[in-house]
Order: sequence, then C-alpha cells, then structure tokens
Amino acid sequence: MARFRKNGSRIVEVDLAGESVKSLAGAMIAYEGEISFKKAGFGGGEGIRGAIKRKATGESLDLMECTGTGTVYFAHDATEIELVPLAGETLQVESSSLLALDSGLKTNVTFTGLRGASAGQGLFTTTVSGNGVVAVLSDGPAISLEVAPQYPLVVDPDAYVASKGQLTQSFVTDVSWRSAIGKGSGEAFSLRFDGSGVVLIQPAER
Amino acid sequence: MDAPLSPVTLPVDDNINPYAFCVDLQGEWFLHKGKMIAYYGQMRFEALTVASVSALVAAHFSSPLYADDWVVATGVGKLVLGDRGFDINSYDLDDGNLTVRAANLLAFETRLELLQSIVPGFLTLLGTGKFLASSNGPVIFAEPPIRVDPEALVGWADCPSPSYHYDGHWMTQNLVGLLRGAIGIVSGEERQFDFTGAGTVLIQSSEKTMADPAALRMMEQQITALSQAEKVHLHRFLGAQLTQ
Repeated sequence: MARFRKNGSRIVEVDLAGESVKSLAGAMIAYEGEISFKKAGFGGGEGIRGAIKRKATGESLDLMECTGTGTVYFAHDATEIELVPLAGETLQVESSSLLALDSGLKTNVTFTGLRGASAGQGLFTTTVSGNGVVAVLSDGPAISLEVAPQYPLVVDPDAYVASKGQLTQSFVTDVSWRSAIGKGSGEAFSLRFDGSGVVLIQPAER
Repeated sequence: MDAPLSPVTLPVDDNINPYAFCVDLQGEWFLHKGKMIAYYGQMRFEALTVASVSALVAAHFSSPLYADDWVVATGVGKLVLGDRGFDINSYDLDDGNLTVRAANLLAFETRLELLQSIVPGFLTLLGTGKFLASSNGPVIFAEPPIRVDPEALVGWADCPSPSYHYDGHWMTQNLVGLLRGAIGIVSGEERQFDFTGAGTVLIQSSEKTMADPAALRMMEQQITALSQAEKVHLHRFLGAQLTQ
C-alpha cells in the first residue's frame, strides 16, 4: 500500500514501491524515482457509467494515476492538506477537495440531498470507500469534529469539507438560522449531522 | 488526521487553531453574520430586529448602521467561529474601552456595550467582557506615540482617537513631490493615523483590509448633507477617478 506523509501542512509525499496512487490531475509538483503518470481514464477509473454519472451530476473528478517506484510530491495552490485514513469506512467529500488517494480505494458519486447550491456543491457528493489513505484539501487547517448520538453537529455548508462514519445528514432551514447568514451571499440553511462519525470542517467559508 | 474534537474536548472560550475559535455559549453573544462554521448543542440565531432580543439590543448595541450585519446567538453549547481563514484573537476588557475596525469584529459578549466610533468604519466596545476580532496575519501591540498606516490598523484601546498626520514636508518641500501631488501620483503613505497619549494600538501585518459594506452606507448618508454644487463637484471627481 502506498505510504502517505505530510511535508509541512501543504505538501503530501507518497512513497510507492510498485503500487499506484490516484491524484488530482496536475497536482504532482515533483517526484523521485521511476514513476509514470497517466490519465485515470473515464471518470477517474469508474468506467463509462461512472463517467456519465459524473458528467450528469456536475461532480467532476479529474484524476491521474501515478505508478512506479519512488516518491511523489503533491500540492494544490498551497492549500492545507489533511490525511484521512480509511479502514473499510466510507468518506463523503466534495470532488473539489480531493487531492490524492490510494488506488485501492473506490470512488463513486452519491446523492446526498440538497446541499449548498450557491457554493457549487449541489445535490451530489463523491464517496471514497475501502482501505487506505485519502489526502483532502482544506482552506486553512482542517478541524475534525466528532458526532455522537448524544451530541449532533450543525455545520455551515461553506465550511464543510468531508465526513465519515454512520451519519445522517439533514437541513436546518428555520428562520432563526437564516438570520445568521450574510446579506445576499452564503447559504440559507445549515447541515445537521446525526449518528456517529467524524465531520471535517475548514476555518474559511468558500 | 488529529483525534476528532467533541463538545467535551473542544477548548472553552479559546482558539482551536489560529484561524478558528470555540465559544462556550451559556446564554447570549452578539455574532457577526456568517462567521459561525459549526456548533454543538441548542442554539438560535436571531436578527437584532426580533422582538425577543429588542431589550438587549437597545441596551448593548447602539449602531443601527451595522445592525443588519449582526445576530444574537442564544442557547447552550459549543460554537465554532471562523472568518475567511484570517487569524482570530480573543480580547478581555476589564472596565475598559477598545475601538476596533467593524469588519474585523467577529463576536462579543452581551455584557459589553457596542457604540459606533466617530472614526468611519470603527466600532467601540465598552465595559467588562470578552470579544473576538480577526486580522490578516498576527496582531502586534504597540504603544503611542506611533503613526500607523490606516489599512494596517485593527484597533486601539484606552488612548484618544487618532488624528490624521499628513507627510506635508515631503509633499511641499520637494519639487518632485509637489508635482506628483499636483498630478495625483502618491506613494500611498502620505496619510497616516497619529496616536498620542497612553494606551495600546493594535496593528495587523498586512495592508489588506476586509470589505466593509457599512463604510459605503455611511458615506451615502453624509452625501445627503451636500449642496447641489457640491454634489456636481463630487460627481465630476468620481468620474475622473473611474476613468483613471
């Protein structure tokens, strides 16, 4: 399995020994050793059905596959990076926040219900599932918040980055919440997470 | 990934990291709209015009110009605040006064009283309590006498309001400077805020300020006092500025 480690907070290094890693196309900033880069095919290796689904949902994902022996360095616009290990779990993440992932992980598009339409997040999200590490981008250092049945969490859709675990997502659309939104911009509702899991947020609104 | 934070492990009225702050809400706080990024617990966010908070607003928030941009957060829980990835600092006032740029003020305890400063775009906090302010880069504290670039100023405490200082010597004693001044080429450092007396001045490490929609509203209000001829002059001036 590819080994992920952070170099500072804005660069991730991945050691490869004959394996491959998928990353955002163009996110490689340097590499050592013998590595080949190729476009990960239709819809980031999800096949033609996956590609059509992504095209139809606007949840675009432009991935490349890096294979070989050596170390690859990834970064994107000097954005902070958080490494999320998955052990058979499913991570929900916006495709725009995905930097790199183990090639053994499966990506898919799922319907999450109404989310921040004006933040360009739409009705669909990308899910990553399996065993391995995902490198997620966040504007400012990400904060991971635990959700448990006794303490549900409410999040601003503009600050939401990713979530994992057994969570159900709902919307808080009461008038009280509307008044907390800036004039003319931002969301008219917030996201409420119930169940048990972890939600990743960033300290900046999109 | 760090161990996830829960309501039990989140800091109490302290920074989570330099860019996010957790308020342990037990009652009411005044909150700038859109700065809430997450919360645990039972909370309501109500506009300042809502009847249930009108007494509180009347007693502690005397700036109608900014009332649209603020809400009252009521309830019990942990409230996480962030502001476009800017640095966030908390300040404790002890029977004191502090004036801060309105766009930098994030939230304050309802024990404090908010007044609109006579310096455009600034708000004054009076009393005892905690408030949060953001800055582009870390804040440094300096003592008067000091001159500060208006764009880098975050706020000031205890000392008198600043006066303008113009670098008149440079502009009039030097022929090149005189010519440049006449045709409108300026270095951007001619106008400074001059602080005197005893107190503290808060300065951010960037000259990039955050947009303040109220600043324009305030100017619009002042324009109504102008005569017809003055308005024509202003119209021409704006035209010239726009074509530059």
